[in-house]
Amino acid sequence: MVEDRSIAGRIYAAINFTLLAIIALITVLPFVHVVAGSFTTNAELAANKFVLIPKVWSLEAYRFIFSTNTIFKAMGVSIGVTLFGTLFSMMLTALMAYALARKDLDGRKTINFLVVFTMLFNGGLIPTFLVVKEMGMIDSYASLIIPSAISAFNMIILKNFFQNIPEGLEESAKIDGCSDFGILFRIVLPLSLPAIATISLFYAVTYWNTYMSAILYLNDSAKWPIQVLLRQIVVLASGLDHSSTLDGTVPPPDQTIKMAVIVVATIPILLVYPFLQKHFAKGALLGSMKG
Amino acid sequence: MQEATAPSTAGPRLKPRKRPHTGELKRRIWRNKWLYVMLLPGLIYFIIFKYLPMYGLIISFQNYKPYNGIMGSEWVGMEHFKRLFTEPDFLNILMNTIILFALNLFIYFPVPIILALMLNELRGNFFKRLFQTLVYLPHFMSWVIIVSITYVMVTMDGGIINELLVYLGFEKVNFLLNPDWFRPMYILQVIWREAGWGTIIYLAAIAAVDPGLYEAARMDGAGRLRQVWHITLPAIRGVIITLFILKIGHVLDLGFEHVYLLLNSMNRGVAEIIDTYVYTAGLRQGQYSYSTAIGFFKSVIGLIMVMMVNRVSKKMGEEGVY
Amino acid sequence: MKNKSFTLLLTTILTLSLVLAGCGSGNNGGGNGSAATTDPAPSNVENQAEVPQEPTEITIMLPLNTSETPPDTIKTELEKLTNTKLTYQFFPADTYEEKLNTAFATGSLPQVTYLKNQTTFIQMKEAIKDGQFWEIEPYLGEFPNLSKMKPEILNNTKVDGKLYSLYIGRPLARQGMIYRKDWADKLGISAPANVDELFEMAKAFTEQDPDGNGQKDTTGLADRNELVYGAFKTVSAWFGTPNNWGEKDGSLQPEFTFPQYVDTMEFFKNLRSNGYMNQDFAATSKTDAVNMFTSGKAGMYIGGSMQDIDSLNKDLIKNAPDAVLDTHSMVAGKDGVFAQWMIPGYNNIVLFPKSAVKSEEELKKLLAFFDKMMTPEVANLMYWGIEGTHYTVEDGKAKVTDDKELIEREVKPFKDSVIGESETNGMYESYNTLPGRVHAEELIKENVKVGVPDPTAALDSQTYTSKGVELQQIITDATYQYIYGQIDQAGFEKAVEQWKSRGGDKIIEEYNAAR
Repeated sequence: MVEDRSIAGRIYAAINFTLLAIIALITVLPFVHVVAGSFTTNAELAANKFVLIPKVWSLEAYRFIFSTNTIFKAMGVSIGVTLFGTLFSMMLTALMAYALARKDLDGRKTINFLVVFTMLFNGGLIPTFLVVKEMGMIDSYASLIIPSAISAFNMIILKNFFQNIPEGLEESAKIDGCSDFGILFRIVLPLSLPAIATISLFYAVTYWNTYMSAILYLNDSAKWPIQVLLRQIVVLASGLDHSSTLDGTVPPPDQTIKMAVIVVATIPILLVYPFLQKHFAKGALLGSMKG
Repeated sequence: MQEATAPSTAGPRLKPRKRPHTGELKRRIWRNKWLYVMLLPGLIYFIIFKYLPMYGLIISFQNYKPYNGIMGSEWVGMEHFKRLFTEPDFLNILMNTIILFALNLFIYFPVPIILALMLNELRGNFFKRLFQTLVYLPHFMSWVIIVSITYVMVTMDGGIINELLVYLGFEKVNFLLNPDWFRPMYILQVIWREAGWGTIIYLAAIAAVDPGLYEAARMDGAGRLRQVWHITLPAIRGVIITLFILKIGHVLDLGFEHVYLLLNSMNRGVAEIIDTYVYTAGLRQGQYSYSTAIGFFKSVIGLIMVMMVNRVSKKMGEEGVY
Repeated sequence: MKNKSFTLLLTTILTLSLVLAGCGSGNNGGGNGSAATTDPAPSNVENQAEVPQEPTEITIMLPLNTSETPPDTIKTELEKLTNTKLTYQFFPADTYEEKLNTAFATGSLPQVTYLKNQTTFIQMKEAIKDGQFWEIEPYLGEFPNLSKMKPEILNNTKVDGKLYSLYIGRPLARQGMIYRKDWADKLGISAPANVDELFEMAKAFTEQDPDGNGQKDTTGLADRNELVYGAFKTVSAWFGTPNNWGEKDGSLQPEFTFPQYVDTMEFFKNLRSNGYMNQDFAATSKTDAVNMFTSGKAGMYIGGSMQDIDSLNKDLIKNAPDAVLDTHSMVAGKDGVFAQWMIPGYNNIVLFPKSAVKSEEELKKLLAFFDKMMTPEVANLMYWGIEGTHYTVEDGKAKVTDDKELIEREVKPFKDSVIGESETNGMYESYNTLPGRVHAEELIKENVKVGVPDPTAALDSQTYTSKGVELQQIITDATYQYIYGQIDQAGFEKAVEQWKSRGGDKIIEEYNAAR
């Protein structure tokens, strides 16, 4: 964006900056607490509650979670599922979204409606489990990806973005002899990079957060993704009476371990965002080129 | 070409005014054959993983026992719906659900839009990216963590906020148990966790705006605020409306975990919503049919809302979601 | 655009697929293991059978109560001892019900299915009655060790008078208070002999600056949002309230219709309104209540198990190095009588689904495995680990190694699956060093002498099964509201009426009919 150097412009920018800085601070503080909590001792957490800078430093929690290879394995599974899943989902979603974005496609409204319908109605855990079982996907990584391959929400959003691309561009490409696939891959996708980045991020985060499908479809705990480990530790350490088995043969894991696992399980997915962020700028650039 | 003919019967029904000759329709479908090929994997996915399992909804009208299966379970008609509607607390629970949804819609929903506009107005890429990354962090904290951190901050037994209030000469406030504080706490937590994440989609839409438009507006002497109003906002209007329609479908479907964690015996009068009720009355007691029936009810209401809002948005000349 | 980043992506995918392939081969998945067995020759010395048999293949599903699933250390040893080939399928306890229900409804439960707790057992009762699981009583006689299981506890787990399950035993009454002995000594008060002294102790801990820092920053009791495993039920038993149900005018009535229940509510109301307990206890999780105690700000902790003293002590002495903890449970009611509520003696059960166990012969093989689990050798292995590695024997008791992490990872996940209890399976009791813990173990034995059982433990009520949880909510809410002063006794009685009219009356009727 071009700079506005008038006085009013500067005041405007300063106010905006200050407000955002405050918001950013508020959003980040609890996270700082979690990170600080992971580097201290359980006793310190109990005594000083909202720790932001630990008085007593300790790497004990990290030593504990890294002392076996469980977390590395789970992380490997999650990264794999996230990468393959996102690619697979994006492919299916983009194809479907593009077809449905074309106003000359007969039946698109009915299909759109049927897709929206699945956002509201679902058959429940048991019938879905049976479908997955019948397809022989129990205990395979495919069960974490294929049954949730397309998110209706993401598909509709992507379709929306595609619809905003001027039809003229597609027309001229067609005249140049591009097929529908050609138009999608050569014109529409490159022009929609911000949208592609956004929806990829949504998928990546969904896959990263995979929990319930893993519990239902994977009997072999060696195949569990990171969220199972994360949630297990968080729930145990938080002493939630969800539907308790609370009787103390097994004392819960330390609070610090909970915090450390949160940090470890969150950082990889946080790193995805800055990587995608630059595509937002690129989209704008292309926008200017076409204009 | 089965997939191609199936939509073709539905197509004209929606647009009766422009009923084409069958020959013309066939030609059009043939011309777009590759589009249907693109559609195919998605259609198969939705049929197998979404529509096929929907037979599970049948158990809403049964007294389902897992060991008898759907074929063998006893039919009870509308029994479960009757039970729900005659539940003494039903109206109260429904109202609580709707109020929380209204807070989501009117207080939370605009926040990411405003935040996205603010972020877009930032000068300098460094801060833009930094702030974006920071506000998006909370989305990765589970409700369990957020609620427990909130507890530590606001408890009357040594929480920093109450300590601060006392220090400033105020009375302690019972944020956790006072029913009046439940809704503000709820919506603040929702905003805190989701607002930054919610900006992403708007930022993507803003990124697609042609910078030339701003250039031209500035030539005409428009200030920053007017540029936001006349260029940025209209550019993301489509996304806003789409998200709005999709959100309204979840009118009775608020996400169980967050509310359940905030719920306690003192605030139940305002905090019990349909999802938490299903958990205690249905799932914890193994009442599959009752739970499914309540889910069915939620879905029907959601569908009606979506259809209404979609129609209105189309009347206003917008695209709608279908 | 197809530049570095894309190449990077592809490389990552390739690398990852290698990594993933590595993960997958480590452990072969669940199912009933149809693969050919290439086992190391089992050294079944302790097996009475003269001819070495093929190891029995068993798949076991059970809840996971620790951070992660255990390595094979214990399992391998267990397989050797029992001549089996075991596949353990652990699932997180938090979402165990979802897994259990889905697996059950789709006919995919394994041969040996652990439930999660008594609530899941109640849920499963209808299916048990329908004949979905094997009845085991007729076979127990063939297994000498299984026959040792306590008949009164087996009786509590019967459904319609028939036995379908083996139980995981628990001491009957472990509850009591854990308190700051150093504070009490300093203020010159002794362990409370009755409920009035209990109140006085909470008061003194709050008002008399027991930590001596010159500030009034301590609280008597740290409690949490749990009426049963928090302080309420234990104190309520001290007051003389019956355990869930009690005899009144010749019929069974729920505990909250007894005057002692109201007295207990009044007790907590006074504690709270005077500031002698944490103000937010109705919204306080176990972790937060424990934190309050271990930070050295509270003097008493009353909960489901006095054995918690070990873990409380561990963190407390870091914050308050001079702290001394002790346990106590003999608190008399207003009439001077001692009473402790008792659990039905088990916390979980094991079932054998007919969908997975096809024949009597197969069932007997499974029971044979559990029969061996009831021998000291196997029970010790599963509860304490491998002698010399995880524990040593001192004074005929098991002393766990100082490497707590090793125990946590390798042994603890199996602990909750050991059937029976040390009296019947012969495993070691724990060797304790902390005086408060030693005291706790004595008290646990004392508690039983004045123990009050739940008279409905072995009874069945259709209405309770389908609506009990929902109805109990009414009473729980009303109890908290009374303690917080939002309703008075009339208001509480109204809630009880509501409980009755919405189905409680039927529960009363059904329990009395079942007697």
